[in-house]
Amino acid sequence: MLDFEFMLRIAPDMLAALWMTVRISLLVVLLSIFLGAVLTALRMLGGRLARGAVVAFVEFTRGVPPLVHISIVYFLLPEIGVVLTEFWTGVVALSLVGAGYTVEIFRGSIETLGRGQSDAARALGLSSLHTFFLILLPQAARRSLPPLTNELANVIKASSLLSVISVNELTKVANDLIFVHFVVIEVLIQLTLLYMIVVGTLMAFSRWLEARLQS
Amino acid sequence: MDFGFIIEAMPRLLPGLWLTVQLSLVGLAIAALIGLPLGVIRSERDRGIFAIVIDTYVFVVRGTPILVQVYAAFFLLPMTGLRLDPFWIGIVALVFNSAGYQVEIARAAMRSIPRDQWEGAAALGLKRWRALQLVIVPQALPRMLPALANEASNLVKASSVLSVIAVFELHKSANAIISQSFKFLEMLAAQAVLYVAFVLALTQLAVWLERRSTGRISHDAQSVR
Repeated sequence: MLDFEFMLRIAPDMLAALWMTVRISLLVVLLSIFLGAVLTALRMLGGRLARGAVVAFVEFTRGVPPLVHISIVYFLLPEIGVVLTEFWTGVVALSLVGAGYTVEIFRGSIETLGRGQSDAARALGLSSLHTFFLILLPQAARRSLPPLTNELANVIKASSLLSVISVNELTKVANDLIFVHFVVIEVLIQLTLLYMIVVGTLMAFSRWLEARLQS
Repeated sequence: MDFGFIIEAMPRLLPGLWLTVQLSLVGLAIAALIGLPLGVIRSERDRGIFAIVIDTYVFVVRGTPILVQVYAAFFLLPMTGLRLDPFWIGIVALVFNSAGYQVEIARAAMRSIPRDQWEGAAALGLKRWRALQLVIVPQALPRMLPALANEASNLVKASSVLSVIAVFELHKSANAIISQSFKFLEMLAAQAVLYVAFVLALTQLAVWLERRSTGRISHDAQSVR
């Protein structure tokens, strides 16, 4: 039988760890969206070199496992004199990955807007930078909401990888609890349920948004 | 950057890459054998216990990180008395993960087949099961290809997580070399290039497969008209 008393006893630790996971995820999403928007602007407005650099960045972030990105940031940032805590190392690594995916989401949404929007904006005398940030991006952002919510769910799951650089997020704390108490099933069940509640809520929210935006 | 060291380390990195290739392709294949049929059946059965079980399974897979699934396999499989080496524990975890996503891939492809295909098959006197087998699934399969290619590259990346249970795939091999030689710049660059190369190769294969199969579909459509 399951030891419910034990599950209750570890609940405060698990919830504190969940809060860490949520904090990391929110920071990563904000940074990814910001960086993603800037990179999308470069990708669509920049010269050949800037475009090429963004395309290469996107291929790189999407082609290499997040775990490798974490190692890269973890080993290389101190090398160039930037010493971050494990928490911020993780946030930077996941934000780079998130930005790569966000560029593709924004670009896809902007392409569905059609040429009419940018033609009209140019006809009104807006510069290409203003056209992008005032006309195209706000409209694309609306259409990007469902995939971005999905991306947030992915970030929450990816944040579990930060356990390898000992950030005390949900998976790390659960793993430690297993090795301290030698209780496996109770911890795993609680861990799974906590992730499912957060990620499941987000996925339901994403579906709801999608249905609402379509009608 | 010490390129000489990268070349020197290749004999130890390439077996890691080979293990990554094996893990992702074997995982993908077994997961396809389980997940795709389940997805096809799920698209046929919207109610009942089967639908509930499958939906719960898919929800668990999509709602939890792959790392948690790997830990679950690592801790739970020995409890059932199964003694597997880390490679096969890894395969079990990857299959559990990927089959869940592939159920959804098969379902989406089945749903994208227009109703009149069913009606046409019925008009030709095909029973529901025969129609599924001869008309619907053959059309749905090519539509799954782009999503399956995507899933393949996801699996390549997911396999890196198996480093935590000491499977010596690419990431783990590179890490082992780093901890002995401290040549992290070289090893990070080398593994990144190998991962990107493998994922790009898979994506190109998918583009090619897709072009081939959609070429055939449009050809078939023309000959019908």
